[in-house]
Amino acid sequence: MAKRFLIFALLFFVSGCATTVKKDYTKFMSANPRSILIVPVVNETVDVDAPDYFLSTISVPVSEQGYYVFPVHMVKRVLEDDGLSDADLVHSASTEKLCELFGSDAVLYIKIKRWDAQYALIATTVTVGLEYIIKDGKTGVVLWQEDSVVRYTSQGAGSGNLLADVIIVAVNAAMTKAAPNYIPLAKQANEQVFVYPGPGIPPGPYKK
Amino acid sequence: MKRGFFLFFILSYFVFSGCASQMYAWKNYESSLYKYYKDPTQKERFIKNLEKIIKKSERKGKVPPGIYAEYGYMLYESQRYPDAIVYFQKEKNLWPESQCFMNKMIENAERMMDNTFAVVVEE
Repeated sequence: MAKRFLIFALLFFVSGCATTVKKDYTKFMSANPRSILIVPVVNETVDVDAPDYFLSTISVPVSEQGYYVFPVHMVKRVLEDDGLSDADLVHSASTEKLCELFGSDAVLYIKIKRWDAQYALIATTVTVGLEYIIKDGKTGVVLWQEDSVVRYTSQGAGSGNLLADVIIVAVNAAMTKAAPNYIPLAKQANEQVFVYPGPGIPPGPYKK
Repeated sequence: MKRGFFLFFILSYFVFSGCASQMYAWKNYESSLYKYYKDPTQKERFIKNLEKIIKKSERKGKVPPGIYAEYGYMLYESQRYPDAIVYFQKEKNLWPESQCFMNKMIENAERMMDNTFAVVVEE
C-alpha cells in the first residue's frame, strides 16, 4: 500500500517538473509563422523615452532567430501616418486586421513594465522589466508569451567570476553617472527571452 | 604576464564568438537608431549607417530583413520617391514576406510622385 502511494507521489512529482520546465509550443508550431511584425511598444513607466529607445534593440534578436522582421522604424512611422501614433491603440486593435494591413504572419507585442533607476548612498540599481507576447495573424491567438526582468546594481569590486565581471565592466562603461543607459539591460532581457531551447521562440525559416 | 595573456585570450574568444554567431552584418544598426531616437539631428548618421550595411551585405552575405525598406523609407521621407521605390522593390525581391507591405508603399510613393508632378504643372 505504502509502496503504491510512493509510486503515485513520485509520478506526480516527475510530471509536475516536466510541465513547469517545458513550454507548450504546439500552437506556435502549427501557426508556423515566417514573418513577425513588431509594433510600437506600450509604456507602463514614467520614462517617456523608453518605448523608442527599446525599439532600437528588438529587431536584431528576432531576425537572428530566423524570422523576417518588418522594419520597426518604418512600421512605427506608417502607423503614425495612419493615425495610430498611440501604442496602446495599436495593441488594442485587432491582430488579424494589423496582419492583413502589413501581410504579416504574426505580431510581437511588448510592454515595458520597469525602466527605472533607484539611487541609494553608494549603489545604483537599474531595472528593466518587459512583457513579450506573440499573437497569430490569422486567429489572434497567443502563440508565445514571456516576461523578463533584468537588474543591475553598480558596485566597485570584481566578483571573481570572469564572465560576470566582463559583463559588469561593459555595462559600467555604458552607464554614465547622470543618466543611466538602459540599453545594455534591454539587450540582455531580449537575449534571455529569445534563447531556444529555453523560454524563447523556435528557430524560424531563415535560421540554418 | 602569463595571466594577462590568458585574460586576453579569453576576452578575444568572447568577442569573436559573439561575431560568428550572427547571421547578418548589422553593423551599428541598433546604436545608430537609438542615437537617432535620442537626438533627431542624428538622422543623417542613421541613413549613412543603413547605406553601409547595404554595401557590406551586398558584397558578402544577405542584407538583413527590413534594412532595404528602412533605407527606402528614409528616401521616401526626403521626397525622393523614385529612389525609394527602387529600395522597396529590393526588399520585396529579397524578402517575399514583405511583398504586401512593399506593394502598398510603392503605390503610395507613385501617388506622391503624381501629386508633386501635378503641383509642378500648376505652377
